[in-house]
Amino acid sequence: MPDPAPSAAPELRPTLNPETLAPGAALPEWEHCFTEVDLMSYGAATWDWHRVHYDLEFARSRKLPGVMIDGQIYGAIFAKLATRWAGPGAFLSGMTLKMRSKAFAGDILRAEGEVSAVEPLEAAHRVVLAQRLVCGEQLIAEAVTTLRFGI
Amino acid sequence: MSLLTNELRAMIGTSVHYPAREALGRASIRYFAIAIDDDNPLYRDLAYAQAAGHADVIAPPTLICETCQSADRQPGKEGYFGHEWHLPVPNSRLIRAGNEYSFERPVQASDWISVTWTLERMTEKSSSRGGTQLFVESVARYTDSEGQLVATNRETLVIQPL
Repeated sequence: MPDPAPSAAPELRPTLNPETLAPGAALPEWEHCFTEVDLMSYGAATWDWHRVHYDLEFARSRKLPGVMIDGQIYGAIFAKLATRWAGPGAFLSGMTLKMRSKAFAGDILRAEGEVSAVEPLEAAHRVVLAQRLVCGEQLIAEAVTTLRFGI
Repeated sequence: MSLLTNELRAMIGTSVHYPAREALGRASIRYFAIAIDDDNPLYRDLAYAQAAGHADVIAPPTLICETCQSADRQPGKEGYFGHEWHLPVPNSRLIRAGNEYSFERPVQASDWISVTWTLERMTEKSSSRGGTQLFVESVARYTDSEGQLVATNRETLVIQPL
């Protein structure tokens, strides 16, 4: 039986040219209402079955007003938004993530951010982003995220 | 009253190693990508990942830094069965303060990732709510089947008395 004809290589999404970026350039904004389903599916996908993320009675016993969003999802969201914006040729090499306030199921979180530095390296560029997640006026989490282009 | 007892101080420097039990796997990666609503084809489409220069589909960066995949025990009464230090601080709750991730290379579905956690520091600080709280700093180093470092995760948790 002959080999199947090779299919065409998929077309890659574009990768940003870091030489066109400057400090202050805004990242696309993103907004999402975190439902109980989001909390459950992230907990399941990360093997984290802690009751604080789905058991309201347990959360209240810990003096929390609702089931709490896992703080590590904020890092996952920041990474998703940074890599989606940068394209497949960029590599996320680091992130400093800080939680500033707790957030709970039902909260609407909005992500925003901008380029804070563009540093030429030998045959590559390092781009540093400042990213924030807010709920209304309240800062929930922030990150300094580093991308490497041209590796 | 001090939270940082001699029993806790004696735990500083403790390490625990969780060996890889299987390859990370495409299903784990796809499940995580769905959970965070990430349609990046690098995580789901082998041909796309290969066109981008990878041998296999790759994982979203922070996936391997989640602490539970390496554990292999039954969940406790709070439902948790991932890595934890079991710090003896009664009537308290644990809150995440931050993570500092560094990544050496993209992790692929075929990678076997082991992790070693080390409890580096515990510091008592006053709380804005009054009283004190305990900051617990740990580092997790993730290695592949060749023993090469693929990622580091410095994690700070806060223990707050109720």
